Amino acid sequence: MSPAVDLLIPLMASGDATSNHTRLIRELLEERDIDVRIVVERKIRSDSSTIPIEKWTGGAQVSILQHSIGSEVAQSVIRKKAPVVLNYHNITPASYFQAWQPELAKSVQRGRQQLSQLAPITRRGIADSEFNARELRGLGIDDVVVAPVLWQLGNGPQPADGNDEAVDEEGGTVLFVGRLAPNKCQHDLIAAFAVLSRFRPQSRLVLVGDASPPQYLQSLKSLARRLDVTDRVVFAGKVSDKNLLQWYQLSDVLACASEHEGFGVPLVEAMANGLPVVAYDAAAVGETLGDSGIVLSDKRPATMAMALHRVLGDKQLRTSLRHRGIESAQRFDISVTREQMWVALKDLLEAED
Amino acid sequence: MNRPDLVDTKRVSVEIEAEAEKRRRQDQEIARLEREIAQVWTDIAPDRDSPETASDESPLLDQIANQAALDPHVPIGSRRGLRSIKRVIRKLTYWYMRFMSDQFNVFAAMLVRHLRNLETRLGRLEGAAGYPVAQSVPAGLGIVKNPPEPSATVVSYVASFTGSGPCLVISGGEGAIVEAIGNRGVLAHGVEQEPDRVLAGLKRQLDIRTGDVLAHLFDAEDESFGTIVLTGVVETLPLANLLGMVDQASQKLEKTGRIIMAVADPASRGRVDAELGSGLGISPITWRHLLESVGFDARLEPCPDSRIAEIVVAHRTAKQSHP
Repeated sequence: MSPAVDLLIPLMASGDATSNHTRLIRELLEERDIDVRIVVERKIRSDSSTIPIEKWTGGAQVSILQHSIGSEVAQSVIRKKAPVVLNYHNITPASYFQAWQPELAKSVQRGRQQLSQLAPITRRGIADSEFNARELRGLGIDDVVVAPVLWQLGNGPQPADGNDEAVDEEGGTVLFVGRLAPNKCQHDLIAAFAVLSRFRPQSRLVLVGDASPPQYLQSLKSLARRLDVTDRVVFAGKVSDKNLLQWYQLSDVLACASEHEGFGVPLVEAMANGLPVVAYDAAAVGETLGDSGIVLSDKRPATMAMALHRVLGDKQLRTSLRHRGIESAQRFDISVTREQMWVALKDLLEAED
Repeated sequence: MNRPDLVDTKRVSVEIEAEAEKRRRQDQEIARLEREIAQVWTDIAPDRDSPETASDESPLLDQIANQAALDPHVPIGSRRGLRSIKRVIRKLTYWYMRFMSDQFNVFAAMLVRHLRNLETRLGRLEGAAGYPVAQSVPAGLGIVKNPPEPSATVVSYVASFTGSGPCLVISGGEGAIVEAIGNRGVLAHGVEQEPDRVLAGLKRQLDIRTGDVLAHLFDAEDESFGTIVLTGVVETLPLANLLGMVDQASQKLEKTGRIIMAVADPASRGRVDAELGSGLGISPITWRHLLESVGFDARLEPCPDSRIAEIVVAHRTAKQSHP
């Protein structure tokens, strides 16, 4: 017998925001005694709770597709013309990857093609942000609801006590969390850091996240070497939740120069952990931060560097950003977002009863 | 938490941008630096307007995937009488049709998926030629405690066994071993995954880097180290990772290089740690055996420390082969 809800996602992976989101939706529905099944493109043998897409025949009362890249899962939905709830996390434009990793560019481009094909069979769009919602409406999907990504880091945020304090005049730890990818523009952060080093010679830049594509990481390392900041740029790679929480607590400011974010989970994590944020205003970044961070319309190195320098050195500003951030992050607290997700799905499930 | 006076962040952002613009105009050095940085990145990054564009992609596999699918829901037509007859036939044949179509669709989907995997792998091969993918160390169980920083005794013993060539310390911790080796005039750096230890080392101006330790070894040039010290996190890794680490370390050592192992014996763990860490880490005596089996000349050096009673010192020999 088919379950009430099928959650379709290309791959369930640890440390991946969309996978965590899917797990939390399953928990949300199962707590309400709704039978849920996860359908994946590649099944992990040890996970008995998922089924591969080849065995998916549709038939659930509601099928929810997580869409952020071209996938066989989306292709199956299109092929079957199965009505779905489209949970859209946005797709990075292919142009960012073309010169670095053409096959990744093809994959995201395929995702965009699939998005247009999914539009006519979408019962409802669920978008992480208003930015994503606008894109769905632009494709002709009328019924679009905004419900942010469900996320939970470890046992919840733990704002560090020291973030109110002004930082050592010459130092400071600048953090970025996210895949090392061309659209996230870590090269702009290294550039800004090279200028910041003029004001603060003991400062450090910590880049947490896996490299995708790996060539971009090599180029970032070359850039750091050429700008003579190699010894103070830390490439932390992919880290455990425990270590990630430590990085948030040990750092003094989160910097983001990303040009394409459908939502920006690390921005919320930083705010929740009381870490001030300096970010470039692109895609959904401004919307996610609200007035809780320093949002810049220009990310040239000197501008970002001066913003970081100011946040590191101005105690009153740091205190204000910390408090605003913690308050603002409550909009995305799991208790709030779970309710928003439930409201987005409730009538569809009841209508099928 | 008392609510502080909140600053108008929008106003601050505008102020910062205006201040940066002013500095750019007044300070030629800033403007020059920005131009230089932009030029450096242009030199490094591949041309974004690469002639190979994503729009070249043929949706051929998508078309095949769509056309190859059989739909058991046969169309029932539009004429009322005929529609009823077709509906009855469809109901009668549905179970058989469904059975057949499901089998065919699974087969076709598998075929297309394998073709797509092949395409992805070929693309990756073409796109990433020359960029080896490092075998990574698992993030750890989380419940197994990280070994403490080495004692001053262990640090001084390890430093006394190092050779003259560049030295790599895995994991570097807060940098005590790196510092002690550096004090002997040997170039040394450490790799550490724990953020607080990395920052503590950096604050002491020591060369402590962070990231996946195996990936770090993999990325290093062959025969680039005189000494590789394995300690700390090595105690919490499963055997498969340790074998990979020995293989990599032996490749990265100079011809006369040496490996120094400073690890506690898993048999000395308390019951909780022993059960949680079952299968993680090996004893110094097993390390000696392992290193000898891959051609090292290894010996156990006693160390008067409560955790690490013996240090393994293994030299490369001419007969050495990789495991």
